Amino acid sequence: MRRSLNITPVPGAAAAEALPRIVAFVEEMAELDDWAPDLVLRSNLILEELILNTLTHGRTSGLSDIEVTLESGENSVTITLVDDGAAFDPLNDEPSPDTDLPLQERSIGGLGLHLVRTMAEDLAYKHADGKNHLTLVARAGA
Amino acid sequence: MELAQERDAGTNVISPAGRVDGSNSAEFHESLMAALSGDDNRVILDMGGIDYISSAGLRVLLLLAQHLGGSATPFAVCSLAASVDEVFRISGFNQIITVFGTLDEAKAQLA
Repeated sequence: MRRSLNITPVPGAAAAEALPRIVAFVEEMAELDDWAPDLVLRSNLILEELILNTLTHGRTSGLSDIEVTLESGENSVTITLVDDGAAFDPLNDEPSPDTDLPLQERSIGGLGLHLVRTMAEDLAYKHADGKNHLTLVARAGA
Repeated sequence: MELAQERDAGTNVISPAGRVDGSNSAEFHESLMAALSGDDNRVILDMGGIDYISSAGLRVLLLLAQHLGGSATPFAVCSLAASVDEVFRISGFNQIITVFGTLDEAKAQLA
């Protein structure tokens, strides 16, 4: 099954207010296509990190829409995100955090995208037609 | 989100339940800080009831660990679900926060 959801940033609203719709969208797909529980968790995590990142950093740069498309595969989900915010390559434009630093020197910056880049497979980004296009695959039990 | 707490001879065991994401991480932070006491000799966060944590939740755990580290209070987490354990490993949190398999192990070994 293949389904899409459009997220429109709401002026003045916290980015996290978009989360319940994303979770409901994932759970509906998961139920219809019988996803494994860890596939549901991974898909939710990947979408939360990417979409909140876009809503937080893209809204000041003309962002008006994020289109989320999920397509069920064999124990996997292909996720496509297209947004019209400022050009941003989540695979390369933000360095991975140093995950070896001691406790008091650690900061949380960049950890969300690091989780996505590590957990997802077949990641591909391009900027075309004035939009960011990101495709990746979440896989169960990897 | 729900958060149970049990104090026994200076050991503060805090057991949150549910999911920790960007929509409730601020509430999670407040609840955890409110559950601490200056009299705690050590703090154990039993994560057995948490099946989902995003970077927003990791941020709260980092702040808690740094806060307790600042006062040299022994701190550990235990009973991580497989999904939470995966997030811990990818983010390197298992190198900066002590992780035990079970609450009993944490109680017996955290010093």
